[in-house]
Amino acid sequence: MRKSEVKKILLLVIEPLAFGILALLFIIPTITVVNLEPLTKTLKEFDVLGLSNKAELQITIVGGTHQAFEKERLESTDGVYKYTTILKGRESDRYSKPILEIVNNKDEETILEIYGYTHLPTKSDITMIVNDQVYRLQRPNGDVETQQLLLLPRQKYILYLAIENFSNVQFDEDFELSIKEI
Amino acid sequence: MSKLLKRALKNSLIPAVLMIAGKALGIFILSAKYGFPLEIGNDVTGLFSTQIYFQDSDVTNFVNSVSDLVMLITIAVPTIYLITKTAIFQSTIQNPKTIVKVTKFNILKWITRDDTTFLKIFLWCAFLWLCSALIIKNSIEGDTYSWIGITAGLISLFCGFGSLKTFEVETNKVYPSNSKYY
Repeated sequence: MRKSEVKKILLLVIEPLAFGILALLFIIPTITVVNLEPLTKTLKEFDVLGLSNKAELQITIVGGTHQAFEKERLESTDGVYKYTTILKGRESDRYSKPILEIVNNKDEETILEIYGYTHLPTKSDITMIVNDQVYRLQRPNGDVETQQLLLLPRQKYILYLAIENFSNVQFDEDFELSIKEI
Repeated sequence: MSKLLKRALKNSLIPAVLMIAGKALGIFILSAKYGFPLEIGNDVTGLFSTQIYFQDSDVTNFVNSVSDLVMLITIAVPTIYLITKTAIFQSTIQNPKTIVKVTKFNILKWITRDDTTFLKIFLWCAFLWLCSALIIKNSIEGDTYSWIGITAGLISLFCGFGSLKTFEVETNKVYPSNSKYY
């Protein structure tokens, strides 16, 4: 094979690759900038030895991405935690995601009062799961149930939010979860 | 490989790097200046899984807004410079009065060489649109101050108009209007 033919074939291979690299030069900065967007999370407080010693309830958002849960936020006002998210339009199915990490740093048991609801009734069955125990938050007919969660001293819990619907949901819904220590 | 593709790759590198650098530097410089405690997490598995956490939602909002503004400025300033430079260069060809003004403002260097191609302007403008789209998305979601979103929208609109005018000038060079023949 002549040198010019090799060069011609190489150019044929390189050109599409160069287009791909050009596209990546736009895609990579976009993804990086989206990833660099800061989030809110309660930072751990450490003493001089690097150990957390604050004897209080600590609730932090797990974060991450999920096809059905978007724009998760956690706010705390006067000891009441408010978790909000947007439940995306979705096909009929069951979806769940770890949303909150709850740590009871106290030396005594703590009881939490939890209730969650969507702003519009969408016939979704909304539950939360803690240690494989299912707690119903909102029935498909829109009825909201208040749940109590017992936290053992010095224990960490992961709270999962689960939604189930038997028909497709076309629109996004705002979901709010309120957590109060009693 | 075509010359156009080679140049496109070469000209895309700087805005791509500046876009990421603007956002990252905005976050870290601001945190260092105001002493905001931040935590870098790795909660989600995947290629781009690094997350920056702040303790307070107001701080998160402030840092995100200012870093978005820094990113916008980093991309918008060179784009505006390139468009202005080309506009002045074209104006000096058509109107000798501009040369006098350019000399008065001591910016003769801008018009001594026509090294700004339409491709360069178009690529910078594309990155500016990308930045603006991200900022507008953030401000709609309430993660960035709305005035920054509006500013980004206006700048990208004007720069889009500027690059369109440059395109018009470039096409006039290839296909001059009838009056220019005589």
